[in-house]
Amino acid sequence: MNALATFGRFGWFVADVVAASLRHPLPWRRTIEEAWRIGVRSLPILVTISFFVGTNLALQGYAAFAPMGGQALLGMFVALAGVRELAPIMVAAMVAAKAGTEMASQIAVMRIREQIDALEVMAVDPLWFLITPRALGIVLVLPALTVVSIFTVIASSALVAVVQLGEPGVPFLQRVWATTSGLDLLVCSVKAAAFGTLICLVSCYFGYTSKPGPAGVGSATNAAVVVSAVACAILNYFISELAYG
Amino acid sequence: MDGMTTSLVGLARFGRHASAVCVRSVTPPWSVADVAHHTWLLATRCALPVVAVVFPAGMVIALQGLLVFEAFGAERLLSSLVSVAVFRELSPVLASVLVAAQGGSAFAAELGAMKIREELDATAVMAVDPVRVHVVPRFLAALIATPMLHLVGCMAGVCGAWLVAVGFKGQTDGVFWANLWGLSRPVDLFGSLLKTVVFGALIGLIATYKGVQASGGAAGVGRAVNDTVVVAITSFIVANYFLTSALFGALR
Repeated sequence: MNALATFGRFGWFVADVVAASLRHPLPWRRTIEEAWRIGVRSLPILVTISFFVGTNLALQGYAAFAPMGGQALLGMFVALAGVRELAPIMVAAMVAAKAGTEMASQIAVMRIREQIDALEVMAVDPLWFLITPRALGIVLVLPALTVVSIFTVIASSALVAVVQLGEPGVPFLQRVWATTSGLDLLVCSVKAAAFGTLICLVSCYFGYTSKPGPAGVGSATNAAVVVSAVACAILNYFISELAYG
Repeated sequence: MDGMTTSLVGLARFGRHASAVCVRSVTPPWSVADVAHHTWLLATRCALPVVAVVFPAGMVIALQGLLVFEAFGAERLLSSLVSVAVFRELSPVLASVLVAAQGGSAFAAELGAMKIREELDATAVMAVDPVRVHVVPRFLAALIATPMLHLVGCMAGVCGAWLVAVGFKGQTDGVFWANLWGLSRPVDLFGSLLKTVVFGALIGLIATYKGVQASGGAAGVGRAVNDTVVVAITSFIVANYFLTSALFGALR
């Protein structure tokens, strides 16, 4: 019952954000600032995670296919599992963990220090000033991050396939190339933009409605990352079903 | 250079924290009730998110796997692929991501709030070891609950795949269950349980370290939670590669 009420309040919050964004001119400078911050700060961690996701993908794919003599399928496995599914969802998980928690804790701290009330007193719409640039920034930058992540996954799995597993490199990359298409990149970018919007709105909602005190900020940040990860995983299935099903 | 020094000092502090926690975990007195309490709390907090993430992940594997296997006329192998992917890789990693996101961040938030309110110092003043009372039970809880949540995740993933394969795409029920253990062996499950124990330990250590190191008011707690999630996920995904190489490389 409580969850349902939260869901309803979240819906109102989203409607308010959309209305506030439409009512005022778009804050381009702040948007670029936020996009830069989210993108640059998340990049090193994202490349690290994608690298090791790729290495593991190659190891596990090899372990699964080698007993059947299907080593040649490794490239296809990496392309399907890594590019189509894992890269977007790992990017979403990492951005939720890094940028999402940061947004939640920043906005929660502003809330409990009454800075949000101060904005309202100065006749600045806090939703427009704080949340619109973050949402637009994350939507701008997340598809680019996903493409970086895809290339890292392919490169690291090729590295493991060639160096650790002793597979021939060129046929592997040809398999990857033959299995992926421009459509995959497009779907991944759409997924990334959708996940970004969701992560931003969920994290900002929990930050915006934070309870007072250090414990309140802590639990708002906590709720933000869990709820956005779960929401992205569920949304991922529906986008995949629409695109490939 | 300055950043390098700071991170080396941080690493050394983390090493001291880790050794202090590990020593206290294996020496009496133990507080079984506290460990049980935190394990129960962690497991109940994380169970629903784990199911909610691994279930759709299983659905997606079935969706993509069917596409591939249909091309070769080998649809019956779907559930074998699902079991390999879910048991060995997806469920351990996703369950640990959620333990880090839900449990680890809660530990950091609780301990961080205690630190900011000087409750940890108060405990020490009363001649009660704060590490033993506040940190060790949480560390052990992460260690115990993560493998349990991994098992929950395994079941959720297989059920998700079953829903898509049998429910939506019309594969025969018997074919699905008969091929489930086609490629994976019990060893795979034990190997992945071992992985989740290591992941749980990493999450527990990092979360409690970031919590007790928090400083600077409410914003500091937020930062501690943020760092916990990022550092914990990154470190266990890196550890995952080496563990997978060691475990499944040797088992092959």
